[in-house]
Amino acid sequence: MSAPGKTEPTEAVARARAGDADAWGELYREFAPAIFRFCRRALPTREDAEDATMEIFMKLRDKLIQYDETRSFSAWLYKVAANHCWDLLRRRKIRQDKETDDVADVPLEHPDPNQLDRMIEQSTSDEVRRALGKLGARARMALVMRYYSDMSYDEIADALGVRRAFVGVVLLRARHELRQALGETGALAAGGAS
Amino acid sequence: MNDNDNPLGGPPLGDQATPHLDEMACLLYIERQLDRARAQEVSAHTQECNACRTLLRAMERESRLLTRAMLEEDEALPLRLAQFQERARRSMQWIWGVLFGLAATGVYALYTGYIEPWQDQLAKAGFGSTSLLNLLIFQGVFWKGWQSVITLLEVVAMLTVGGFGLAFFRRRLLRRGSALALVLTGFCALGALVVPPSASAQDVRKADAVEIRSGETVKGDLFLFCHRARIDGTVDGDVFLFTQDASVGGHVTGDVIAFAQSLRITGVVDGNIRSFANNVTVTGTVTRNVLAFNELVNVDPTGKIGGSLTTFTQSLNLDGQVGRNILTFVGQGTISGTVDGRIDAKGGNLRINGPAKVGGPIRFNGENPPEVASDAKLASPVQYTKWEHKPKYEEGGYYIWQVIWAAAFVLFGLVLFQLMPAFSAESVGNVEHYGASFGLGVLVFFGVPIAALIACATVVGLFVGISAFFVWYATLYYAQIIVGALVGQWLLGRTREAWPLIGRMVVGVILVRLCTTVPHIGGWVKFGVMLWGTGAISLALYRRFQPAISAGLPGAPIVPTPLPSNTTVGGVVPA
Repeated sequence: MSAPGKTEPTEAVARARAGDADAWGELYREFAPAIFRFCRRALPTREDAEDATMEIFMKLRDKLIQYDETRSFSAWLYKVAANHCWDLLRRRKIRQDKETDDVADVPLEHPDPNQLDRMIEQSTSDEVRRALGKLGARARMALVMRYYSDMSYDEIADALGVRRAFVGVVLLRARHELRQALGETGALAAGGAS
Repeated sequence: MNDNDNPLGGPPLGDQATPHLDEMACLLYIERQLDRARAQEVSAHTQECNACRTLLRAMERESRLLTRAMLEEDEALPLRLAQFQERARRSMQWIWGVLFGLAATGVYALYTGYIEPWQDQLAKAGFGSTSLLNLLIFQGVFWKGWQSVITLLEVVAMLTVGGFGLAFFRRRLLRRGSALALVLTGFCALGALVVPPSASAQDVRKADAVEIRSGETVKGDLFLFCHRARIDGTVDGDVFLFTQDASVGGHVTGDVIAFAQSLRITGVVDGNIRSFANNVTVTGTVTRNVLAFNELVNVDPTGKIGGSLTTFTQSLNLDGQVGRNILTFVGQGTISGTVDGRIDAKGGNLRINGPAKVGGPIRFNGENPPEVASDAKLASPVQYTKWEHKPKYEEGGYYIWQVIWAAAFVLFGLVLFQLMPAFSAESVGNVEHYGASFGLGVLVFFGVPIAALIACATVVGLFVGISAFFVWYATLYYAQIIVGALVGQWLLGRTREAWPLIGRMVVGVILVRLCTTVPHIGGWVKFGVMLWGTGAISLALYRRFQPAISAGLPGAPIVPTPLPSNTTVGGVVPA
């Protein structure tokens, strides 16, 4: 896993670890936009995302010494970011979302493949992002980790504190929530059983 | 179940006789999470089943749509974040500058504390370079007056400028930490070598009894650690006495700084006397000032002090001469000699005897009216004010001072929040960890002074101990600011922006200060706030320096609710 469109900043990381402020600047300039977008997708408000981005980089400065240089820096960075965002959400006690409460007893509606196909075809990125904001915290985090930062199921399980076998369940439920939200926004009629 | 039924409870998917794929199988197939055999099954099925192929294709497109929606750069990096990087960089450079200054001081202190004494012994003579350690510890403002502060400031400024210079060269020329360390080391080494040798030297003597005989001359500063000390000769420098009984009957060209049970000056001291003793008696001449924290201070008829006399003492008897002013906090003061300047006294009783001669005004704030002999020669009558022991809360000045203190706190907080915005924000956040903050606060509040005291037991530890004590003391004030910031957030809402946080800090600090002025409970409030805030600061400090942490894993694992019974996961729907 690496940051979208990014190469590994091995030299800058090494210099930053040695205390070079310029290297920090390089890393920040390179990764801050991506991390901000990550936080923007994962957290409810823009202000939260800005705060979280700053906090992640402050945290990063302290934790860089723990970074294992044999692994991907961007993967590690996203792991830190994901943990931070999830920790924020968890602390705010808004993880009592649909996965664990109200939706627990609601059966997943099986989509009509053709309707689902049409819905996906007609949905725009903007609509998806808006719909994403309506999801529960865990569903949103799971989708962001998987489809933004390309984290593995193991990493997602680790970050969310669930067993690996449940990651697929979390992702599938998240997709269902997303489809429902897309339907509510009027982008398309919700897919589902008739 | 009919073949054509939707296995997940949906509509029929087609007319195939084989079971349809469930959605989870499709997802895991798309995400390459299935084992090889199962993946082949899915692949084979979708080639034959239109409905499942359509579902699989739709979910693949859904994945792509999600990825595209996520990755699209729909928002530019906010200005605040762009500026944050610059601020962080500037902040780090400032910290580097300070750090270098402190590091250079530390290196020099180590050098003077450990290496130089060995060199001294080897050379069997004093060393010829300026000892910054001595300058800091024995010649600071506490001992020698404000002139030394200027010197100290010069040294600190020099080191800081050096640090900034390094930061500049580091930014422009150097890219590697090792090269930086090399330059820093070079800077320190160069500093140690090029400091011009001073005329002063050090002579440290430890024995049960030490005597500098008449006719003997000691060049440079003299440190005496002994039971009895007697100086009848000449010391061309300062004298530091750590002794039970000390007598200075010779000539000291510098200052006398004494920690002694009894100190007697019968000779001539060209500089000042700083005395922390049970009793001090001046029979000889002190050219400059005397500062005494003693139980008893006697200036005999032959005793002469060229400058001022400042005492914090139980009993003061002045039969000799003081060239300038007297400032005394005294239980019983008796003036029988000559004072060319003014007298400011506060305490129990003041008696001015017949032969006394005072050239300036006399002000006495005491419990009893002064007793003044009719034949005393005074420039003006004694201005007496009764010392009233009324509660401080009843004095108007108390509240004025509280306002001044509150303003000082706000200013202090403003500086700290600007210098250390991230650390301050972290500390404010930690205040809400009530248990940890209070617990750690109690530990630090009582533990650090004790540790500092223990550290002072060694020569180099004295520097560390005093530094730790001052840091601890400053933290007590910082703690009130941190708690104030939290109170401000409670009232005005939470923020992480620098200036809004400062605004909340100002409001909160004023409220906290108000609470501390409440009679009877204000002191306890202040104590509690100090514990609380100190703990929060310590917690932030601890988190900064802890060696290894995992990347902030969330707490308790969450087990998701299983899928409903009509949903199958990861397998083929039974026929």
